[in-house]
Amino acid sequence: MAELLQYVANGFVGGGIYAIIAVGFVTIYNVSKVINLAQGEFLMLGGMIMVSLIGLHVPYGLAFLLAVTAVTIFGILLQKYVISYVKRATPLSLIILTIGVSILIRGFASLIWGKDAFALEPITSHEPISFGGITIAQQSVWVIAAVLVILLFLWYLMDKTMVGRKIKACSVNTKAARLMGISPGKMAGLAFAISAASGAVAGIVIAPLSVTSYDVGVLLGVKGFSAAILGGLGNPIGAVIAGFLLGLLESLGAGYISSGLKDAIAFIVLIAFLVIKPTGIFGERSVGKGGL
Amino acid sequence: MRSIVKKLGIGFIFYLLLVIIFPFLLSNEYYLSVGIVIGLHAIVTVGLCLLMGLAGQISIGQAAFWGIGAYTSAVLSTKYGLPPAIGLLASAIIPGIFAFLLARAIAGLQGYYLAMATLAFGYIVQIGLTEWESVTGGANGMISIPKLQYFGDSELSMYYLIWAVVTCVLIFSLNILKSRVGRAFRAIHKSEIAATTMGIDVRQAKLGAFVLSGMFAGISGGLYAHYMGILDPQPFGLHESIKFITMVVVGGMTSIWGALVGTVLIDSINEMLILLSEYIPGLQGDVDTIVFGAILVFIIMFMPEGLVPRCRAFYEKVKAKKRKAAGSQQAERKTVA
Repeated sequence: MAELLQYVANGFVGGGIYAIIAVGFVTIYNVSKVINLAQGEFLMLGGMIMVSLIGLHVPYGLAFLLAVTAVTIFGILLQKYVISYVKRATPLSLIILTIGVSILIRGFASLIWGKDAFALEPITSHEPISFGGITIAQQSVWVIAAVLVILLFLWYLMDKTMVGRKIKACSVNTKAARLMGISPGKMAGLAFAISAASGAVAGIVIAPLSVTSYDVGVLLGVKGFSAAILGGLGNPIGAVIAGFLLGLLESLGAGYISSGLKDAIAFIVLIAFLVIKPTGIFGERSVGKGGL
Repeated sequence: MRSIVKKLGIGFIFYLLLVIIFPFLLSNEYYLSVGIVIGLHAIVTVGLCLLMGLAGQISIGQAAFWGIGAYTSAVLSTKYGLPPAIGLLASAIIPGIFAFLLARAIAGLQGYYLAMATLAFGYIVQIGLTEWESVTGGANGMISIPKLQYFGDSELSMYYLIWAVVTCVLIFSLNILKSRVGRAFRAIHKSEIAATTMGIDVRQAKLGAFVLSGMFAGISGGLYAHYMGILDPQPFGLHESIKFITMVVVGGMTSIWGALVGTVLIDSINEMLILLSEYIPGLQGDVDTIVFGAILVFIIMFMPEGLVPRCRAFYEKVKAKKRKAAGSQQAERKTVA
């Protein structure tokens, strides 16, 4: 029983990160119908910039702010100067473009930081906490706190503010939104900013749990994309639930079946779900078959 | 002779000549091995071009079929002592079956969902190859896979064997392009609904495209295993799948020749980068990743149709202009007269 609880706790931490990445995917997708496969690189950049700043003896809080700001600006520039310039955008070409962007970022990261793995100091001490038979790192608590704060903030932004309504208007009908005086281009930039910022935060909080290196973004991005698809593309609540589900599945699979097969289990479940229900568990919210 | 030239086209004859004389132009073991690798990649990319460019279905897991093909032939000939010919046959059939099952399962998916499913499949296969140690040797891989010795043991004979396969695949694909099946693929690419109303069985056609591209990749994988002599699961992952996509996209997705040109181009750039990194030791990172990423971004942003269709369009334009100029000159002469 304690074993099971431990796996669930671990799965919850991993799942939270997947949930944030998945929400990032969905935010961008809803506004601009773009799947940004470079999403995982935002996490990598966040973590690596943080490591560099800490190495320069910048205080933790300031370094955090600087890293998140840098990644956010990067996200906005990416949307403004690359993504929005594509002629005749189809899902096929957008997928290829964002794959290109992501390997470009990874390549530059490997030039700047080299191929070594870096460790980031946790926010509080290394001492693990144990209660009720399970043991988790203090940093895991911070991860879960960060995940909850980000999700709450996004919910508030989307549901309670005018900006959120504008973003939603763009996702429902771009032309009608334009007629109401909303600039879809600006909203797309904002969506990129939001998902870059949340990705950077996620990248920074998970970096101390293991190590961070130039290539951590690939698998994280792919897992986040899986969660977004599993939850039904365009459905933020579905994405969050699917993210946690994926994290739990992986943790349980790694614990009870085989740690080597951990990733395979998640992907097999994903394909199985897609076969049974081609539009994700909770169905798509926005129209269109995966952007086509 | 004339009719053969006409039937195949001057481009094809030119291609054949180039393939045949290449080993004599650059008679060096290194260039020959590059030529072999290009040929192996070309078999995969021509199949991927049928799937992506013609039928409009994305696959971010093509290296998985390549890997399945490689391991099928390697395991059959190394562990069970079967002749490589049977292994190669199986390396076409087994990935074909995998592609069929995968496509059967996900035939209803489109766009991003399809991308995700093929991506997941690629990961599953690579993990499976690593974890199924009793058969595949796990992360350590397999060694002493027998070489193909149909025309002797030399590198040169391997080169000709592989390019013979490339040529067969090319002729097959070019013929498909002109057939009813090819037209059905292109109709699906434009619009699945419109294709359905024209009486095309969309599901069947998609299945066909997947199985064909899977089989091509498998054949190439089988040849790769026997050429290399050793195998490990590392080259059959996402990185290689993306490289295949880059090759197809650079040359032009809608053109079979484009896939070939793209393969030659990307593999040549790759080799050049490897040579360069020997002279410039400061390049410690993945310079090839930067270059390929930049190429992908550049092509999609400024030349989404790819090199070969762009060049062809340019050529047609120049020809039209010339004709026009000639026509107006004639007209002038007439008015003067």
